[in-house]
Amino acid sequence: MKKIIAGLIAVLMIFSFSGCKKQEVNSTNTDSEEMVQNKTIENDLGWSSSHYDVQKMKDVTLNMYGVTDTIRLVLDQFQEDTGIKVENLTMKNGEILQRLKNEKDSGVNIADIWFTGGADTFINAAQSDLLVAYQAPEANALEEIMKDKNGYWHGTSLTLVNWVVNKQLIEEKGLKMPETWEDLLQEELKGEVSMPNPASSGTAYNVVSAILQTKGNEEGWKYLEKLIEQVPFFTARGSDPARMVVNGEAIVGINASNGDRELEKNNAHIQLIYPKDGTGWWPQPVAIVKGTNNLEASKVFVDWILSKRGMETLAKVRNAAVARTDVEVPKGIVDISDIKLFMTDFQANAQKREEILAEWEKHVAK
Amino acid sequence: MKKNNGVIILLYCLLVFFIVYFAFIPVISVIVYGMNLGCKIEIIYKYIERALYYLKNSLVISFVVTFIATSCGMTIAFTLRRLKFRGRNMLRIFSLLPLIHPPFVGSIAFIMLFGRRGLISHQFFGLDISPYGWKGVVFIQVLGLGALANILISSVIEKMDISLEEAARNLGAQEKKVFFTVTLPMMIPEISSTALLVFLASMADFGTPLIIGGDFQTLASDMYIQITGMYNMQGASISGVFLLIPCIFAFVLQRYYIQKRTYFTDEVGAKDIEYKEIKPYAKYLLIFFTSLFIGLVLLKYTFIIIGAFTKQWGYDYTFTLSHFQSILKRDFSSFINSVKLATYVAFISSFIGVVLAYILHNKRVPMAAFVDFMAVLPAAVPGILFGISYLVTFKYPVLGMGRWILKDIKPLVLLGTEIIIYIICIARYMNVGLRAGSALLKHVNSDLEKAAYNLGASETKTFFTVIMPLLKDAFFASFFKNFSTTMTTLGAIIFLLLPKNKVAVQQIFQIITSSAMGEASAMALLLSLLCLIMLGFFYVLFYGGSLWHKMKEGRGVWKSY
Repeated sequence: MKKIIAGLIAVLMIFSFSGCKKQEVNSTNTDSEEMVQNKTIENDLGWSSSHYDVQKMKDVTLNMYGVTDTIRLVLDQFQEDTGIKVENLTMKNGEILQRLKNEKDSGVNIADIWFTGGADTFINAAQSDLLVAYQAPEANALEEIMKDKNGYWHGTSLTLVNWVVNKQLIEEKGLKMPETWEDLLQEELKGEVSMPNPASSGTAYNVVSAILQTKGNEEGWKYLEKLIEQVPFFTARGSDPARMVVNGEAIVGINASNGDRELEKNNAHIQLIYPKDGTGWWPQPVAIVKGTNNLEASKVFVDWILSKRGMETLAKVRNAAVARTDVEVPKGIVDISDIKLFMTDFQANAQKREEILAEWEKHVAK
Repeated sequence: MKKNNGVIILLYCLLVFFIVYFAFIPVISVIVYGMNLGCKIEIIYKYIERALYYLKNSLVISFVVTFIATSCGMTIAFTLRRLKFRGRNMLRIFSLLPLIHPPFVGSIAFIMLFGRRGLISHQFFGLDISPYGWKGVVFIQVLGLGALANILISSVIEKMDISLEEAARNLGAQEKKVFFTVTLPMMIPEISSTALLVFLASMADFGTPLIIGGDFQTLASDMYIQITGMYNMQGASISGVFLLIPCIFAFVLQRYYIQKRTYFTDEVGAKDIEYKEIKPYAKYLLIFFTSLFIGLVLLKYTFIIIGAFTKQWGYDYTFTLSHFQSILKRDFSSFINSVKLATYVAFISSFIGVVLAYILHNKRVPMAAFVDFMAVLPAAVPGILFGISYLVTFKYPVLGMGRWILKDIKPLVLLGTEIIIYIICIARYMNVGLRAGSALLKHVNSDLEKAAYNLGASETKTFFTVIMPLLKDAFFASFFKNFSTTMTTLGAIIFLLLPKNKVAVQQIFQIITSSAMGEASAMALLLSLLCLIMLGFFYVLFYGGSLWHKMKEGRGVWKSY
């Protein structure tokens, strides 16, 4: 028995040591990054921040909430450029919002920055006083619609609504590749269109509200009613339709993407379609969380990500269309100028949410 | 018995404090939070209406699953224990697979196999059936929980007193009659406790309905949707209260009314008996059913492995290692965090559980029954709800008390510290050690302990020399179970994780949502392997020398379940 306890203690100790080792590695990392940093100032990699202080920030770790793990490489690049480490936790939009509310309630701050997600949650958070207003100098390069006028959040990359289409099934059934929103209503696609529930998915809510804003209330609801007929059931999460189409459970899935072609690249039987008559979209913002203990370093992060350097990294790593227009579009990304975007009023979307969802429920129940 | 000494009393007080604080108060406070609402009556009414709707779904699913999964588990357990046939040992080993199950991807494997474009349903049989809906949920849960029921019941068959059965047989009763009139009634307490675990697991499962339920969601998955999709904590808490009621009801019913007696022998490891007289057609039917069930489980696992190593799961089966490469590109710390969490939690929770079992059984302490109830209560609380209960309790300073007093002491807020996920797992799993310990202590003759006292050994010394060795088995059994559960659990900790201590399961759950199925299956596979390796490591550590001997006897590590 003693041996066993000793063995267990040994195991536990190994873990605590491995923890220490990791930290050591980190500190040597930051040393070398300082050198990198010195170089960057000479080379001017295309970013600057008046809040940056190499000495003070070399041991800073920022806690970040976000909705995607693919952001890791961007954060690594940021660390290489600045020496500031970012730890990220990936969650759903609503989970982040709920956590931030809890953190505010209790006064325990965990997150410093919030990066990636839907603009509607950021608007909601700004209204709930969860964010720091910061007028980033780099924000001048962004169009008005890409940022909050008070500086609560700034758009970084874009999310575009697109359709994930199972090409193989289209051919098998001899259908015409859908190109416009009207095409989704064709008889053969009945039961084959997958769409998330707007009550629980930002993607679907964006689509519904954009259609209502573009077509007007009356025409809009008429269209949506027909669309509802085509959908066998509304998935709980925004990511479900794409998976269903990839698995062949549906032919067309309403989906949100960065503007990348990853799904097409990885799946020979999939084609991504951006509807010709316009599509929904929103910026993926970055924001500083109120109550952060690392306000200066968080501002450096915002400055960096909004800079040319940051956006180029973002475009490259995530294969994303970005908010700055002076950044070269990497190959394989859809060119935004080729796509018709619905005019969208994000503030109105956030305000009318309850009302639209109640109306939606009525139409689904019909 | 001698009067308790100071050490025991102090230990007991500490344990009671821990249990009250981290197991009991959170449950109470989530109920209070759910019912104490600041909003309008119409809104509450709407929330309740919603909760009742999904409660109905949950109950239907859980009853059906409990019935089918327990029956399947029992059939398989008896077939594997009491019929001799070729390949039995292999099936026994395969039947243990679900213990290290790769979370979430099972449902996706099921869609790819039996969906509208499924490999089996469509390619082989040309069917076009949507797997989404309640049938899919039932199928997945039966497959997972039936295998679990088999493991639980198997371990009981092994310890059962066979003298009664033998007597009936000697009196000339047919096997069928012996089974239905002697064996089955004798096993009712164990079967009911297995059914209870299946019921609770089914009620708490939110991942399966989310992935495969389509528009059929259960109360647990709707809670997740309400929080993450609708930003509605209040509504989720009301749903939580409704989810809790049947769970606690079933729990109390089973624990205090059905499980009054047990029929274990004192002699652990009684001989297996064999049904020799059984009719051939019945025998082959049983073997066929068992093989089919385990075959399906195996198929699921094989398909996950295929998914991890092929280019595009379900469409392009070219061999590739790219999924593993892209995992390595990611932050790998989550795997280390998982192992760390599981090791600490398994060790501490099992230790606490076993010590508590000892104190409650062998020492006269006040309120033993109530403390026991509070300690096992978290087992009845669905993980996701237990997580929410921590959220609403420990966001206040001074371990939650700061809601009323000492409002300004910030440093003692648990939410947002790394330690909270350790505490919640310990509080949640200590009942495993407690139950294993209680089961063993019931059979231990207290003469041993008395003898040691009479020979002048101190109480602590008696504990370490006499009782501890006896509790060792309970501790190990609990350790292995808690280790593998903690490695693959998500519900309880999903809302409490921090950026720096994220665990592998959470990442898998996120990857699935990005349609990167190959990566998700590769990652789930890695997690399972890691879990298996660590269990093997601990097994060697614990059993060391006697390992070879045991292996020769053909007793696997899993027997301890």
